[in-house]
Amino acid sequence: MTAHETGLDPAFRKQVVDAMTTVLDRLLDRAEPVTEDMRLMEELGLSSTLGLELMLELEDQLMILIDVELLDGDQMKTVGDLATFVAGHSRPG
Amino acid sequence: MTALEAVSVYLPPERIPVESLAGPLGLTEMQVKLFRRFHGLREVGRDPDPSLQRLLMKAAAGLDALRGQEHRVRYVLYARTMPVVAPYPANPLHEVCRALGLGHALAFTVTHQSCASGLLAIDMAGRLLAADAADGQDGQAGPLALVLSGEKAFTREAQLFADTTIFGEGASACLVSAFGDRDRMLAYASNVRGEFDSATGANDARLQREYRPSLAAVMRQALDEACVALDDIRVILPHNVNMVTWQRMCLLLKFPLDRVVLDNIPASGHVFCADVFANYKTACERGLLRPGDRYLAAAVGAGGGATFAAMVFEH
Repeated sequence: MTAHETGLDPAFRKQVVDAMTTVLDRLLDRAEPVTEDMRLMEELGLSSTLGLELMLELEDQLMILIDVELLDGDQMKTVGDLATFVAGHSRPG
Repeated sequence: MTALEAVSVYLPPERIPVESLAGPLGLTEMQVKLFRRFHGLREVGRDPDPSLQRLLMKAAAGLDALRGQEHRVRYVLYARTMPVVAPYPANPLHEVCRALGLGHALAFTVTHQSCASGLLAIDMAGRLLAADAADGQDGQAGPLALVLSGEKAFTREAQLFADTTIFGEGASACLVSAFGDRDRMLAYASNVRGEFDSATGANDARLQREYRPSLAAVMRQALDEACVALDDIRVILPHNVNMVTWQRMCLLLKFPLDRVVLDNIPASGHVFCADVFANYKTACERGLLRPGDRYLAAAVGAGGGATFAAMVFEH
């Protein structure tokens, strides 16, 4: 599902994707850059602890508050899925 | 049927902000922010009195139903997270028994299921009392067991479970009967997963992945055994591991978050095996439980293996 189809602001979602991939590159210390289509668990091995650290970094960088209580980790397969969630479930912080 | 006759809880009024623990526990600024923002842990209780015996006594002192009934207490069970809390030959449990006039009772500690040991102790207490009655050893009316819990956060391991929770001091005392009609236990289910041994850390990532599904499974098992639907559960009394775990548990269970008693997490932290008892008292004080309401207590013990446990009660 694209950002347009979900009614999200595409520019804000892209901002979230850019910030997210940059933070993940640093947190995971990977040789290859993280991309939007990568699977969080299977490819990146993202633990729930690192996932929360990622959310906190995004909140700080984008100056938002994310509704983490609504985040169902099992439904977030890829980096793009998570970016869509953040773009749709956050407010200025 | 196993029943809770009376519950008393002591949470020390002295609180320490999570930020103050960063230095002693070696927490990074990011870890402190995570605890505060997502785990919902703002401060934890620390009793300035270093005595574990006196900490337990403060909970027992509030157990009015014990006064004059000491002779009925046949067992004293001390449910504990940490395997060792005092140097030999000190035994805080026996000291508490003597101080309470319970020197005649058979007293022992239950610690093998870490923070899930509190629910195990209630089940054991009820079974012991029921077995005595079945064996015709019930020479006096209404024998009781006393289940104690509470610990001092006296080592780093007793203060912090990395990236997950911070322990707070406190204690509980609970009188259990075999055939009471108050807060009757309808079912108890537990699942011991020895492969999740935190000492080796070999399966930590898998434990993170399976934590919530495993807890949900044991909660559903207890509900099935009690023939109670989750929709009919008035409140869940959780272990106080952290907020985000229970927020996500509610998504998984499709259970309203406002019916999980999370009040004590921000100010008290994870009070070892006493969480469920503290949350029971809070539920009663807030008027969340009416006679006949069913409620579900849940706990996870992680240490030498992980134990997922759940208990269904009728108030």
